[in-house]
Amino acid sequence: MTFDWSVVWRYRDALALGTATTFLLTIATMAIAVPCGIVVASLRLYGAAPLRTFATAYVELFRNLPLILVVYWAFYVLPIVTGVGLSAFATGLAALSLNVTAYNAETFRAGINSIRRGQLEAALALGMTRTQALRRIVVPQALRRVLPVLASTWVSLFKDTSLVSVIAVGELAYVSMQARAQTFRVLEMLTAMAVIYWLLGYPQAKLVDWIERRYVVTE
Amino acid sequence: MGVTAYGRVDFDFTVVTDNWRFLAEGVGVTLLLSLASGAASLVAGLVLALLRLRGPRWLRPAIVFYIDSMRAIPVLVVLVWTFFALPMVAGVTMSPFMAGLIGLTAHLAAYAAEIVRAGIESVRPGQTRAALALGMSHAQILRRIVLPQALVRTLPAFGSLLSVTIKDTAIASVIAVPELMRRSETVAGQSFQPIEVYTFAMLVYFVLLYPVTRGVDRFYRRVAHLGRS
Repeated sequence: MTFDWSVVWRYRDALALGTATTFLLTIATMAIAVPCGIVVASLRLYGAAPLRTFATAYVELFRNLPLILVVYWAFYVLPIVTGVGLSAFATGLAALSLNVTAYNAETFRAGINSIRRGQLEAALALGMTRTQALRRIVVPQALRRVLPVLASTWVSLFKDTSLVSVIAVGELAYVSMQARAQTFRVLEMLTAMAVIYWLLGYPQAKLVDWIERRYVVTE
Repeated sequence: MGVTAYGRVDFDFTVVTDNWRFLAEGVGVTLLLSLASGAASLVAGLVLALLRLRGPRWLRPAIVFYIDSMRAIPVLVVLVWTFFALPMVAGVTMSPFMAGLIGLTAHLAAYAAEIVRAGIESVRPGQTRAALALGMSHAQILRRIVLPQALVRTLPAFGSLLSVTIKDTAIASVIAVPELMRRSETVAGQSFQPIEVYTFAMLVYFVLLYPVTRGVDRFYRRVAHLGRS
Protein backbone atom coordinates (compact mmCIF):
# COMPACT_ATOMS: atom_id res chain seq x y z
CA MET A 1 0.00 0.00 0.00
CA THR A 2 1.45 3.35 -0.95
CA PHE A 3 0.79 6.52 0.99
CA ASP A 4 0.52 9.87 -0.68
CA TRP A 5 1.01 12.55 1.94
CA SER A 6 0.99 15.38 -0.59
CA VAL A 7 -2.79 15.25 -0.51
CA VAL A 8 -2.65 16.98 2.86
CA TRP A 9 -0.69 19.85 1.33
CA ARG A 10 -3.07 20.06 -1.60
CA TYR A 11 -6.02 20.42 0.74
CA ARG A 12 -4.29 22.88 3.03
CA ASP A 13 -6.71 25.70 2.20
CA ALA A 14 -9.73 23.63 3.08
CA LEU A 15 -8.07 22.42 6.26
CA ALA A 16 -7.17 25.99 7.20
CA LEU A 17 -10.75 27.07 6.64
CA GLY A 18 -11.96 24.16 8.73
CA THR A 19 -9.60 25.12 11.52
CA ALA A 20 -10.85 28.70 11.39
CA THR A 21 -14.44 27.48 11.59
CA THR A 22 -13.54 25.35 14.59
CA PHE A 23 -12.08 28.36 16.35
CA LEU A 24 -15.04 30.51 15.37
CA LEU A 25 -17.46 27.95 16.78
CA THR A 26 -15.49 27.70 20.01
CA ILE A 27 -15.24 31.44 20.50
CA ALA A 28 -18.88 32.09 19.61
CA THR A 29 -20.11 29.31 21.87
CA MET A 30 -18.11 30.58 24.83
CA ALA A 31 -19.24 34.14 24.13
CA ILE A 32 -22.81 32.92 24.51
CA ALA A 33 -22.32 30.27 27.16
CA VAL A 34 -20.38 32.32 29.71
CA PRO A 35 -22.99 35.08 30.19
CA CYS A 36 -25.81 32.57 29.94
CA GLY A 37 -24.06 30.35 32.46
CA ILE A 38 -23.82 33.23 34.90
CA VAL A 39 -27.50 33.98 34.41
CA VAL A 40 -28.57 30.38 34.91
CA ALA A 41 -26.35 30.05 37.99
CA SER A 42 -27.83 33.23 39.44
CA LEU A 43 -31.33 31.95 38.73
CA ARG A 44 -30.50 28.73 40.45
CA LEU A 45 -29.02 30.41 43.52
CA TYR A 46 -31.17 33.50 43.94
CA GLY A 47 -34.20 33.10 41.76
CA ALA A 48 -37.80 32.59 42.73
CA ALA A 49 -38.82 28.96 43.21
CA PRO A 50 -40.12 28.28 39.67
CA LEU A 51 -37.03 29.89 38.13
CA ARG A 52 -34.83 27.89 40.41
CA THR A 53 -36.53 24.67 39.40
CA PHE A 54 -36.24 25.58 35.76
CA ALA A 55 -32.55 26.37 36.09
CA THR A 56 -31.83 23.15 37.98
CA ALA A 57 -33.81 21.09 35.48
CA TYR A 58 -32.01 22.76 32.59
CA VAL A 59 -28.58 22.07 34.05
CA GLU A 60 -29.37 18.49 35.01
CA LEU A 61 -30.88 17.79 31.59
CA PHE A 62 -27.95 18.96 29.51
CA ARG A 63 -25.33 17.51 31.79
CA ASN A 64 -26.92 14.09 31.34
CA LEU A 65 -27.27 14.03 27.58
CA PRO A 66 -24.60 13.17 25.01
CA LEU A 67 -23.71 16.27 23.02
CA ILE A 68 -23.96 14.45 19.71
CA LEU A 69 -27.58 13.63 20.46
CA VAL A 70 -28.28 17.26 21.31
CA VAL A 71 -26.74 18.22 17.96
CA TYR A 72 -28.97 15.84 16.02
CA TRP A 73 -32.00 16.78 18.05
CA ALA A 74 -31.35 20.49 17.51
CA PHE A 75 -30.94 19.87 13.79
CA TYR A 76 -34.37 18.30 13.49
CA VAL A 77 -36.34 20.02 16.21
CA LEU A 78 -35.16 23.65 16.21
CA PRO A 79 -36.46 24.49 12.73
CA ILE A 80 -39.89 23.21 13.69
CA VAL A 81 -40.04 24.72 17.16
CA THR A 82 -38.66 28.11 16.21
CA GLY A 83 -40.25 28.20 12.80
CA VAL A 84 -37.07 29.44 11.16
CA GLY A 85 -34.69 27.46 9.03
CA LEU A 86 -31.34 27.72 10.71
CA SER A 87 -28.07 27.09 8.94
CA ALA A 88 -26.10 24.05 10.04
CA PHE A 89 -23.56 26.37 11.65
CA ALA A 90 -26.24 28.15 13.67
CA THR A 91 -27.78 24.84 14.71
CA GLY A 92 -24.41 23.52 15.80
CA LEU A 93 -23.75 26.74 17.65
CA ALA A 94 -27.13 26.49 19.38
CA ALA A 95 -26.56 22.90 20.44
CA LEU A 96 -23.05 23.63 21.71
CA SER A 97 -24.25 26.73 23.54
CA LEU A 98 -27.08 24.88 25.24
CA ASN A 99 -24.68 22.21 26.40
CA VAL A 100 -21.82 24.45 27.55
CA THR A 101 -24.19 26.88 29.29
CA ALA A 102 -25.27 24.03 31.54
CA TYR A 103 -21.68 23.18 32.47
CA ASN A 104 -20.81 26.83 32.98
CA ALA A 105 -23.86 27.27 35.19
CA GLU A 106 -22.52 24.58 37.49
CA THR A 107 -19.07 26.12 37.38
CA PHE A 108 -20.36 29.58 38.26
CA ARG A 109 -22.65 28.20 40.92
CA ALA A 110 -19.66 26.63 42.63
CA GLY A 111 -17.64 29.79 42.08
CA ILE A 112 -20.28 32.13 43.45
CA ASN A 113 -20.84 29.85 46.42
CA SER A 114 -17.14 29.91 47.17
CA ILE A 115 -17.19 33.68 47.67
CA ARG A 116 -17.79 34.22 51.33
CA ARG A 117 -21.33 35.08 52.16
CA GLY A 118 -20.11 37.99 54.23
CA GLN A 119 -19.26 39.87 51.06
CA LEU A 120 -22.81 39.64 49.81
CA GLU A 121 -24.19 40.57 53.20
CA ALA A 122 -21.88 43.57 53.47
CA ALA A 123 -22.91 44.74 50.03
CA LEU A 124 -26.57 44.40 50.92
CA ALA A 125 -25.95 46.24 54.19
CA LEU A 126 -24.44 49.09 52.19
CA GLY A 127 -27.73 49.41 50.41
CA MET A 128 -26.98 47.66 47.13
CA THR A 129 -29.68 45.61 45.54
CA ARG A 130 -28.94 41.94 45.19
CA THR A 131 -28.33 42.37 41.48
CA GLN A 132 -25.86 45.18 42.10
CA ALA A 133 -24.10 43.17 44.78
CA LEU A 134 -23.79 40.19 42.47
CA ARG A 135 -22.70 42.20 39.49
CA ARG A 136 -20.16 44.41 41.22
CA ILE A 137 -18.85 42.34 44.13
CA VAL A 138 -19.51 38.64 43.87
CA VAL A 139 -19.35 37.70 40.22
CA PRO A 140 -16.06 39.52 39.46
CA GLN A 141 -14.39 37.61 42.27
CA ALA A 142 -16.06 34.38 41.25
CA LEU A 143 -14.86 34.88 37.66
CA ARG A 144 -11.28 34.93 38.80
CA ARG A 145 -11.78 31.77 40.83
CA VAL A 146 -13.45 29.80 38.09
CA LEU A 147 -10.96 30.81 35.41
CA PRO A 148 -9.12 27.47 35.52
CA VAL A 149 -12.37 25.54 35.18
CA LEU A 150 -13.52 27.80 32.35
CA ALA A 151 -10.21 27.24 30.60
CA SER A 152 -10.67 23.51 30.96
CA THR A 153 -14.21 23.83 29.61
CA TRP A 154 -12.81 25.79 26.68
CA VAL A 155 -10.47 22.95 25.74
CA SER A 156 -13.30 20.41 26.03
CA LEU A 157 -15.48 22.65 23.89
CA PHE A 158 -12.74 22.95 21.29
CA LYS A 159 -12.72 19.19 21.00
CA ASP A 160 -16.50 18.92 21.08
CA THR A 161 -16.86 21.18 18.04
CA SER A 162 -15.79 18.12 16.07
CA LEU A 163 -19.21 16.64 16.84
CA VAL A 164 -21.10 19.22 14.78
CA SER A 165 -19.44 17.66 11.75
CA VAL A 166 -22.29 15.17 11.76
CA ILE A 167 -24.66 17.89 10.62
CA ALA A 168 -22.23 19.01 7.93
CA VAL A 169 -20.83 22.10 9.58
CA GLY A 170 -17.58 22.85 7.81
CA GLU A 171 -15.23 22.65 10.75
CA LEU A 172 -11.96 20.76 10.80
CA ALA A 173 -13.31 17.22 11.28
CA TYR A 174 -15.90 17.63 8.53
CA VAL A 175 -13.42 19.12 6.09
CA SER A 176 -10.91 16.37 6.78
CA MET A 177 -13.43 13.63 6.27
CA GLN A 178 -14.73 15.25 3.11
CA ALA A 179 -11.18 15.36 1.79
CA ARG A 180 -10.81 11.72 2.71
CA ALA A 181 -13.98 10.86 0.80
CA GLN A 182 -12.87 12.79 -2.24
CA THR A 183 -9.32 11.51 -2.43
CA PHE A 184 -9.70 8.06 -0.86
CA ARG A 185 -6.51 8.88 1.04
CA VAL A 186 -7.85 7.56 4.32
CA LEU A 187 -4.72 7.20 6.45
CA GLU A 188 -3.19 10.44 5.26
CA MET A 189 -6.20 12.66 5.83
CA LEU A 190 -7.26 11.08 9.10
CA THR A 191 -3.73 11.25 10.48
CA ALA A 192 -3.48 14.86 9.31
CA MET A 193 -6.75 15.61 11.08
CA ALA A 194 -5.47 14.03 14.29
CA VAL A 195 -2.14 15.86 14.03
CA ILE A 196 -3.80 19.23 13.43
CA TYR A 197 -6.10 18.75 16.41
CA TRP A 198 -3.07 17.72 18.43
CA LEU A 199 -1.08 20.78 17.34
CA LEU A 200 -3.98 23.02 18.28
CA GLY A 201 -5.09 21.20 21.40
CA TYR A 202 -1.77 20.38 23.07
CA PRO A 203 -0.74 24.01 23.60
CA GLN A 204 -4.23 24.81 24.82
CA ALA A 205 -4.08 21.98 27.33
CA LYS A 206 -0.69 23.18 28.53
CA LEU A 207 -2.06 26.71 28.79
CA VAL A 208 -4.88 25.39 30.95
CA ASP A 209 -2.31 23.73 33.21
CA TRP A 210 -0.47 27.04 33.52
CA ILE A 211 -3.69 28.90 34.28
CA GLU A 212 -4.52 26.38 36.96
CA ARG A 213 -1.15 26.85 38.59
CA ARG A 214 -1.22 30.61 38.29
CA TYR A 215 -4.77 31.17 39.50
CA VAL A 216 -5.00 28.56 42.19
CA VAL A 217 -6.83 30.00 45.15
CA THR A 218 -5.92 28.95 48.63
CA GLU A 219 -7.83 30.38 51.52
CA MET B 1 -46.00 13.42 11.77
CA GLY B 2 -48.07 16.44 10.98
CA VAL B 3 -46.62 19.89 11.10
CA THR B 4 -49.74 21.94 11.30
CA ALA B 5 -48.29 25.39 11.88
CA TYR B 6 -45.23 27.15 13.18
CA GLY B 7 -44.37 25.55 16.49
CA ARG B 8 -47.26 23.10 16.58
CA VAL B 9 -46.54 19.46 15.96
CA ASP B 10 -48.52 16.27 16.32
CA PHE B 11 -46.34 13.70 18.01
CA ASP B 12 -46.73 10.10 17.02
CA PHE B 13 -44.71 7.86 19.27
CA THR B 14 -45.84 4.61 17.65
CA VAL B 15 -42.61 4.77 15.66
CA VAL B 16 -40.81 4.20 18.94
CA THR B 17 -43.08 1.41 20.15
CA ASP B 18 -42.97 -0.33 16.78
CA ASN B 19 -39.18 -0.38 16.86
CA TRP B 20 -38.71 -0.85 20.58
CA ARG B 21 -36.81 -4.13 20.28
CA PHE B 22 -34.36 -2.66 17.79
CA LEU B 23 -33.80 0.36 20.00
CA ALA B 24 -33.60 -1.76 23.15
CA GLU B 25 -30.81 -3.80 21.58
CA GLY B 26 -29.10 -0.50 20.93
CA VAL B 27 -29.33 0.31 24.63
CA GLY B 28 -27.75 -3.06 25.31
CA VAL B 29 -24.83 -2.28 23.06
CA THR B 30 -24.47 1.14 24.66
CA LEU B 31 -24.29 -0.43 28.09
CA LEU B 32 -21.91 -3.14 26.94
CA LEU B 33 -19.59 -0.67 25.27
CA SER B 34 -19.73 1.69 28.25
CA LEU B 35 -18.96 -0.97 30.83
CA ALA B 36 -16.31 -2.70 28.74
CA SER B 37 -14.45 0.49 27.85
CA GLY B 38 -14.96 1.80 31.37
CA ALA B 39 -13.44 -1.29 32.95
CA ALA B 40 -10.63 -1.50 30.41
CA SER B 41 -9.75 2.18 30.76
CA LEU B 42 -9.82 1.84 34.55
CA VAL B 43 -7.27 -0.96 34.45
CA ALA B 44 -5.19 0.76 31.78
CA GLY B 45 -5.33 4.05 33.66
CA LEU B 46 -4.24 2.40 36.88
CA VAL B 47 -1.30 0.75 35.12
CA LEU B 48 -0.33 4.00 33.39
CA ALA B 49 -0.49 6.02 36.60
CA LEU B 50 1.58 3.49 38.52
CA LEU B 51 4.13 3.30 35.72
CA ARG B 52 4.31 7.06 35.68
CA LEU B 53 4.73 7.46 39.41
CA ARG B 54 6.70 4.37 40.37
CA GLY B 55 7.94 2.99 37.11
CA PRO B 56 11.16 3.39 35.17
CA ARG B 57 12.15 6.98 34.71
CA TRP B 58 12.67 6.75 30.97
CA LEU B 59 9.06 5.70 30.50
CA ARG B 60 7.66 8.81 32.09
CA PRO B 61 7.92 11.24 29.14
CA ALA B 62 6.21 8.73 26.88
CA ILE B 63 3.32 8.29 29.29
CA VAL B 64 2.95 12.03 29.85
CA PHE B 65 2.99 12.56 26.08
CA TYR B 66 0.29 9.95 25.63
CA ILE B 67 -1.91 11.43 28.35
CA ASP B 68 -1.54 15.00 27.10
CA SER B 69 -2.21 13.89 23.54
CA MET B 70 -5.48 12.27 24.51
CA ARG B 71 -6.43 15.50 26.21
CA ALA B 72 -5.82 17.35 22.97
CA ILE B 73 -7.51 15.10 20.42
CA PRO B 74 -11.31 14.81 20.23
CA VAL B 75 -12.92 11.42 20.85
CA LEU B 76 -14.47 11.54 17.40
CA VAL B 77 -11.05 11.80 15.81
CA VAL B 78 -9.66 8.94 17.89
CA LEU B 79 -12.61 6.69 17.03
CA VAL B 80 -12.57 7.49 13.32
CA TRP B 81 -8.82 7.00 13.13
CA THR B 82 -9.01 3.70 15.01
CA PHE B 83 -11.71 2.33 12.74
CA PHE B 84 -10.50 3.57 9.35
CA ALA B 85 -6.78 4.23 9.63
CA LEU B 86 -5.50 1.73 12.17
CA PRO B 87 -6.38 -1.29 10.00
CA MET B 88 -4.28 0.20 7.24
CA VAL B 89 -1.30 0.65 9.49
CA ALA B 90 -1.56 -2.49 11.59
CA GLY B 91 -2.97 -4.77 8.94
CA VAL B 92 -5.82 -5.93 11.15
CA THR B 93 -9.52 -5.81 10.46
CA MET B 94 -11.88 -4.97 13.24
CA SER B 95 -15.59 -4.66 13.74
CA PRO B 96 -17.02 -1.23 14.52
CA PHE B 97 -17.65 -2.34 18.10
CA MET B 98 -14.04 -3.44 18.55
CA ALA B 99 -12.78 -0.19 17.05
CA GLY B 100 -15.11 1.72 19.34
CA LEU B 101 -13.89 -0.25 22.33
CA ILE B 102 -10.22 0.27 21.52
CA GLY B 103 -10.63 3.94 20.68
CA LEU B 104 -12.72 4.75 23.74
CA THR B 105 -10.42 2.81 26.05
CA ALA B 106 -7.36 4.54 24.64
CA HIS B 107 -8.96 7.94 25.10
CA LEU B 108 -10.43 7.34 28.54
CA ALA B 109 -7.35 5.59 29.94
CA ALA B 110 -5.55 8.93 29.81
CA TYR B 111 -8.18 10.56 31.99
CA ALA B 112 -8.31 7.55 34.30
CA ALA B 113 -4.54 7.72 34.69
CA GLU B 114 -4.74 11.35 35.72
CA ILE B 115 -7.48 10.60 38.23
CA VAL B 116 -5.49 7.76 39.80
CA ARG B 117 -2.36 9.90 39.88
CA ALA B 118 -4.21 12.70 41.65
CA GLY B 119 -5.57 10.18 44.14
CA ILE B 120 -2.19 8.65 44.88
CA GLU B 121 -0.52 12.02 45.23
CA SER B 122 -3.20 13.14 47.66
CA VAL B 123 -2.18 10.53 50.22
CA ARG B 124 0.22 12.19 52.62
CA PRO B 125 3.85 11.24 52.04
CA GLY B 126 4.18 10.83 55.80
CA GLN B 127 2.21 7.63 55.46
CA THR B 128 4.73 6.25 52.99
CA ARG B 129 7.63 7.33 55.18
CA ALA B 130 6.08 5.71 58.24
CA ALA B 131 5.49 2.49 56.34
CA LEU B 132 9.07 2.49 55.06
CA ALA B 133 10.30 3.04 58.59
CA LEU B 134 8.30 0.00 59.63
CA GLY B 135 10.20 -2.01 57.05
CA MET B 136 7.52 -2.43 54.39
CA SER B 137 8.56 -2.76 50.78
CA HIS B 138 7.36 -0.24 48.21
CA ALA B 139 5.02 -2.75 46.67
CA GLN B 140 3.51 -3.52 50.05
CA ILE B 141 3.09 0.18 50.78
CA LEU B 142 1.26 0.71 47.52
CA ARG B 143 -0.97 -2.23 47.96
CA ARG B 144 -1.84 -1.92 51.63
CA ILE B 145 -1.52 1.78 52.52
CA VAL B 146 -1.60 4.10 49.55
CA LEU B 147 -3.89 2.57 46.96
CA PRO B 148 -6.83 1.77 49.26
CA GLN B 149 -6.98 5.37 50.43
CA ALA B 150 -6.23 6.78 47.01
CA LEU B 151 -8.87 4.76 45.21
CA VAL B 152 -11.61 5.72 47.65
CA ARG B 153 -10.76 9.37 47.06
CA THR B 154 -11.01 8.93 43.31
CA LEU B 155 -14.58 7.64 43.41
CA PRO B 156 -16.35 10.93 42.57
CA ALA B 157 -13.99 11.57 39.68
CA PHE B 158 -14.50 8.06 38.36
CA GLY B 159 -18.25 8.48 38.65
CA SER B 160 -17.90 11.54 36.49
CA LEU B 161 -15.71 9.59 34.07
CA LEU B 162 -18.31 6.81 33.85
CA SER B 163 -20.87 9.42 32.92
CA VAL B 164 -18.52 10.74 30.25
CA THR B 165 -17.95 7.18 29.03
CA ILE B 166 -21.64 6.56 28.49
CA LYS B 167 -21.98 9.85 26.66
CA ASP B 168 -18.96 9.11 24.50
CA THR B 169 -20.42 5.79 23.34
CA ALA B 170 -22.95 7.90 21.46
CA ILE B 171 -20.07 9.31 19.42
CA ALA B 172 -19.22 5.77 18.35
CA SER B 173 -22.34 6.00 16.18
CA VAL B 174 -20.27 7.76 13.54
CA ILE B 175 -18.26 4.57 13.02
CA ALA B 176 -21.46 2.56 12.79
CA VAL B 177 -21.32 0.89 16.17
CA PRO B 178 -24.91 -0.36 16.54
CA GLU B 179 -25.56 1.38 19.81
CA LEU B 180 -28.59 3.48 20.72
CA MET B 181 -27.55 6.66 18.93
CA ARG B 182 -26.88 4.86 15.70
CA ARG B 183 -30.06 2.87 15.86
CA SER B 184 -32.02 6.03 16.62
CA GLU B 185 -30.54 7.56 13.49
CA THR B 186 -31.57 4.51 11.50
CA VAL B 187 -35.15 4.51 12.77
CA ALA B 188 -35.43 8.27 12.39
CA GLY B 189 -34.13 8.10 8.85
CA GLN B 190 -36.47 5.31 7.81
CA SER B 191 -39.58 6.69 9.46
CA PHE B 192 -39.04 10.41 8.78
CA GLN B 193 -40.02 11.03 12.39
CA PRO B 194 -36.77 12.28 13.89
CA ILE B 195 -38.38 14.30 16.67
CA GLU B 196 -40.12 11.37 18.34
CA VAL B 197 -37.15 9.04 17.94
CA TYR B 198 -34.53 11.48 19.16
CA THR B 199 -36.73 12.64 22.02
CA PHE B 200 -37.03 9.01 23.06
CA ALA B 201 -33.25 8.61 22.80
CA MET B 202 -32.80 11.69 24.98
CA LEU B 203 -35.11 10.17 27.56
CA VAL B 204 -33.19 6.90 27.59
CA TYR B 205 -29.81 8.57 27.93
CA PHE B 206 -31.08 10.79 30.70
CA VAL B 207 -32.50 7.80 32.56
CA LEU B 208 -29.15 6.02 32.13
CA LEU B 209 -26.97 8.92 33.14
CA TYR B 210 -28.84 10.71 35.91
CA PRO B 211 -28.62 7.81 38.38
CA VAL B 212 -24.92 7.35 37.66
CA THR B 213 -23.89 10.74 38.96
CA ARG B 214 -26.42 10.73 41.78
CA GLY B 215 -25.58 7.16 42.74
CA VAL B 216 -21.87 7.84 42.84
CA ASP B 217 -22.48 10.89 45.05
CA ARG B 218 -24.49 8.85 47.50
CA PHE B 219 -22.11 5.89 47.50
CA TYR B 220 -19.13 8.16 48.00
CA ARG B 221 -20.71 9.87 50.95
CA ARG B 222 -20.95 6.52 52.67
CA VAL B 223 -17.37 5.44 52.02
CA ALA B 224 -15.60 8.80 52.04
CA HIS B 225 -14.35 8.30 55.58
CA LEU B 226 -12.27 5.37 54.39
CA GLY B 227 -10.17 7.71 52.32
CA ARG B 228 -9.32 10.26 54.94
CA SER B 229 -5.91 10.37 56.46
